Amino acid sequence: MKIKIVGLTKKFPGDIKKGIQDTVAVDHLDLEIDDGKLIGLLGPSGCGKSTTLYMISGLKEPTDGQIYFDDEDVTFLTPEKRGIGLVFQNYALYPHMTVYKNILFPLTSLKVKDNEKSFVVEKSKKIIEILDNVNALIDLIKSTAIDGKIKRDAAVSAICNKYKVSMYLARQIYSYNLHASTDLNNDVQKRIDDALISIKEEKERLIKKNLHVNDNNEIVNENNECKQIERKLTKDEMDALVREAARLVQIENYLERKPAELSGGQQQRVAIARALVKKPKVLLLDEPLSNLDARLRIQTREEIRKIQQRTGITTVFVTHDQEEAMSICDRILVMKDGKAMQEGEPQEVYRDPKDLFVAKFLGTPPINVFKGYIRNNQLYIGNEKIKDVNPNIEDKNVYVAIRPEGFIIDDKGVFSLDCKEIITMGRDLSLVCSSPFFVGDKIKIIIDSDITPWIGTIKFSIRDSKLYVFDEKSEERIAI
Amino acid sequence: MKQVNVNTTHLNLVIPGRRKDVLSTQKRDKVMKIIALVLTYSFIVLMALIVIFPFFYMIIGSFMLEEDVISGKLWPTTGSFFENIHYNYTETLKRFDYFKYVGNTLIVGVSTTAGCLFITILSAFAFSRLHFKGREVLFTIFLATMMIPGEMMVITNYITMNNLGLIPIKGQTAIQAFTVMILPFLSSVFYIYLLRQNFLQIPNELYFSSKVDGKSDWQYLWKVMVPLAAPTLITITILSLIGSWNAYVWPNTAVKNDNYWLISVAMRGTALEIEDPLQPQVFKIQNSWTMVASTLTVLPLLILFIIFRKYIMKGTGRAGIKG
Amino acid sequence: MEKRNNYKAWLYLAPALILMAVFTFFPLVNTIIVSFIENYNSAYGFNAEVGERVVNTGFTFKNYGVVLGITPRNPSTGVLDKTFLSFTGPSALGNTLMITFITVPISVVIALVISIALNQIKVLKKFFQTVFFMPYVTNIIAVGMVFSIIFSTNGIFNAMLKSNTNWINVGASYWNSMLILFVYIIWNALPYKILIFLSGLQNIDKQYYDAAKIDGASAFKVARKVTIPLLSPQILYITITSFIGAFKEYTAIVGLFNRSYTADGNVPDLFTVVYYIYDKLNSTDQVQYASAAAVILFIIIMLITLVQMKVAKKRVHY
Repeated sequence: MKIKIVGLTKKFPGDIKKGIQDTVAVDHLDLEIDDGKLIGLLGPSGCGKSTTLYMISGLKEPTDGQIYFDDEDVTFLTPEKRGIGLVFQNYALYPHMTVYKNILFPLTSLKVKDNEKSFVVEKSKKIIEILDNVNALIDLIKSTAIDGKIKRDAAVSAICNKYKVSMYLARQIYSYNLHASTDLNNDVQKRIDDALISIKEEKERLIKKNLHVNDNNEIVNENNECKQIERKLTKDEMDALVREAARLVQIENYLERKPAELSGGQQQRVAIARALVKKPKVLLLDEPLSNLDARLRIQTREEIRKIQQRTGITTVFVTHDQEEAMSICDRILVMKDGKAMQEGEPQEVYRDPKDLFVAKFLGTPPINVFKGYIRNNQLYIGNEKIKDVNPNIEDKNVYVAIRPEGFIIDDKGVFSLDCKEIITMGRDLSLVCSSPFFVGDKIKIIIDSDITPWIGTIKFSIRDSKLYVFDEKSEERIAI
Repeated sequence: MKQVNVNTTHLNLVIPGRRKDVLSTQKRDKVMKIIALVLTYSFIVLMALIVIFPFFYMIIGSFMLEEDVISGKLWPTTGSFFENIHYNYTETLKRFDYFKYVGNTLIVGVSTTAGCLFITILSAFAFSRLHFKGREVLFTIFLATMMIPGEMMVITNYITMNNLGLIPIKGQTAIQAFTVMILPFLSSVFYIYLLRQNFLQIPNELYFSSKVDGKSDWQYLWKVMVPLAAPTLITITILSLIGSWNAYVWPNTAVKNDNYWLISVAMRGTALEIEDPLQPQVFKIQNSWTMVASTLTVLPLLILFIIFRKYIMKGTGRAGIKG
Repeated sequence: MEKRNNYKAWLYLAPALILMAVFTFFPLVNTIIVSFIENYNSAYGFNAEVGERVVNTGFTFKNYGVVLGITPRNPSTGVLDKTFLSFTGPSALGNTLMITFITVPISVVIALVISIALNQIKVLKKFFQTVFFMPYVTNIIAVGMVFSIIFSTNGIFNAMLKSNTNWINVGASYWNSMLILFVYIIWNALPYKILIFLSGLQNIDKQYYDAAKIDGASAFKVARKVTIPLLSPQILYITITSFIGAFKEYTAIVGLFNRSYTADGNVPDLFTVVYYIYDKLNSTDQVQYASAAAVILFIIIMLITLVQMKVAKKRVHY
């Protein structure tokens, strides 16, 4: 499903008496998410990303603006009518229910659209079919015996599998106790007769209403038309859906446990399974990885990506961790103070940040920002001339931002820094440097480990593609 | 593991109540929401009225003449409103020595509360801050006594007090009566428990730093812990005062001299009965005056409750959390 | 250094310990002993002669027999006292059991429904919370008397119903009186329960409700499948304490009915276990029966608590 957000705004009213002003959590946000895409809402805490997510879910009502699912305006539709799945930050799994019941819970409120069927006829036909070859059934039941003793659960499960019938029917067939019968033929005949009688009674009941049962056990009228009805899911259908969702997130083996008996990662999967079980059109994830440890986080985020690709559900993913968003999202939206700063493919946003905030927010280690200025079409940091710039740019003070990987040690370099510390990280070396023009805490530079740097002043040349210039006042990017 | 063979791909899941048209779905949801809200509020208001009615009727009843009360009127129909009030209250106070009973109750309440606070603070301090052998066991034993029905103790306490000569059938003195009423209630396991939980939340660092400053345990307790636990102490004070105000069983059993009755005991006395003018020797309780006495008994509590609502509800609520 | 204040700790505890020893631990043991003493009289030693009677004649189970109505109090008359236990008519234990098993479940359910309803609303929530908690602080005797006026034969309740049923006045039927007693006890029991349930409800993470909302669960289903299970610790706590409280019911009866006509043994007879104990305590030569009844009460309360703890292990979810 395509999601379109137009001018979405959320104000939390303040209290005039206490002198608290209105806070604008989300400010005229526009966004379009294509069908089947995974989009990451990215920003520091308090930037309104979660509020946006909750407005998409319907749990929060926007102050202004519209939300469209495909072409429907769902802005004021209640959450349960939107057909969404939501994974909460702390999962919100019901602690008193088993994993199975947790996943089942959403299904109990859903209905299924189906041709009206006669379950009585379907069941009776199946019974007759199975009892036609009663010896196979008895062999099957006996084959499940352990130490000569037949266990009900094992036998029921075997019947279930072999005949592709529901658990409930399997139990019923088992309860006929044919494997212990002394007069098999008679007993079987009795059960078959019973089944035939129920078919007959059902058909008679329907004929009074001018209805018939066709070969698919559907109830049809004289023109062979079947009525579409909304009915509750049968227990078997629910069971199948729960298991399908559990399989998707690989928690089939934990279904009988309570959430407290699971690890954080497993709980997370259960939460995703619960969101997916009702086959939502949109999946919303609110900081789904923040409660996991570092290793699990990387593993889980890749799984989320896989699940999303397999199911093709349009997914909105909220995170404050730029690495997380960059690694799995089709597109990201960087937000700040409730406003959209930049939207695009992760790499594109990284490569081409529109303003200083976006540049600073993406990338680890973060981008290094220096105070600089443009004079006579040349960019300076301190006294050092870094490069020529576009002649149309007037003289002004600017921020010069250089990605950590944009520095090359070069005797003829244009930019000198005072190297304080060298940190070996295997593949790369990291240099911690200082400069009087630096804005922030520590300059971090990443260079190839083949090069041997030294403590003291080092000259660097700068890769053009890793250097950005921003206006000092507006902090907007200046094309150079 | 159970296994089911139902193919789910054909299942066309639909959301119940979702109509084709978003607007009509929204409208329906809104109507349902309003209906639910109206029903919820109606239920709450109805229940609140039932809960509040006895209080309302108690106060209104104290404004009515006897004939209105005994004929089940909801509002005074005879007499003039203010004259009724004046008549009822003066007549009641003439017969029912309200201020004496309130005085007795206050003496018992204040001394019980003060003693109880002191003992509770000391015990809670020992149980939370000091280390000694058998601390946990002793505390568990203390807590276990809360399970024992008070009647087990009342019987022997009555015998003890009686043997000490504190409960003479005739001529019980003020000292005897008040000793009997106050002494058994000076220590309360529940309050010790409540305060200990509060003391435990005070960080150890404060204790160590006051030790470094050369303060003794005694100073630390009164200068640091007691002020920090003030809200809990206020809760205990209020609950203890309310407890004395409502005390009936023990004072009724152990006080034989009606000069030292507490307010609840006095309520069940015969002060408000008057001789039936038609049937001499037959005494009938005056319902309107009973309402006055009840109002006078309950109103101070309600006022106390409204002022200290937060402390009372918090303290009472905390008892439930341990469950 | 923390270990050294051993003896000081006992000093701090001394006042409480002494009081507890005199007024809690000693009475506990003593009451049990008294319940086994024949012809108990606290003022004298064993086999002392008091006037024409011999008191403290030895240890016996007879007191329990007398309380339970098996042994006659006075062997010469052979009359059994059926006030405590009777299978044919109202008795203290029967009344108490009835009060317990009727008022506790009803008040728990009502309190639960009110709390859940209160938890749903925003406007005036604090106000209603205060209103529902008000009966907690009121004087049970005084309000009991107000109830007795409301339900008197010519009272406002009958006036509203336009009936003249005798609910609680002298001559009222047993069941009418019990009904009003139940109403009063339930009315009285609601506030504490509502308070505990509400504070429990406020501790339930709002996200559970958001999750349920997304899944389209109806209000009823949310209450049944989410709220009540998550509230089960509080429900258990309330149930246990209310069972114990209801078992010790006494003041409600004193407040609601005129003391004289229940204690005089008039019909209807509305004794409870605790009422019985205080009644026996008032006559000096029957303290041993009061003690035996108190021990029985103690045992019953222990049993109830144990059973409920057992049930709790199965039913309380986390």
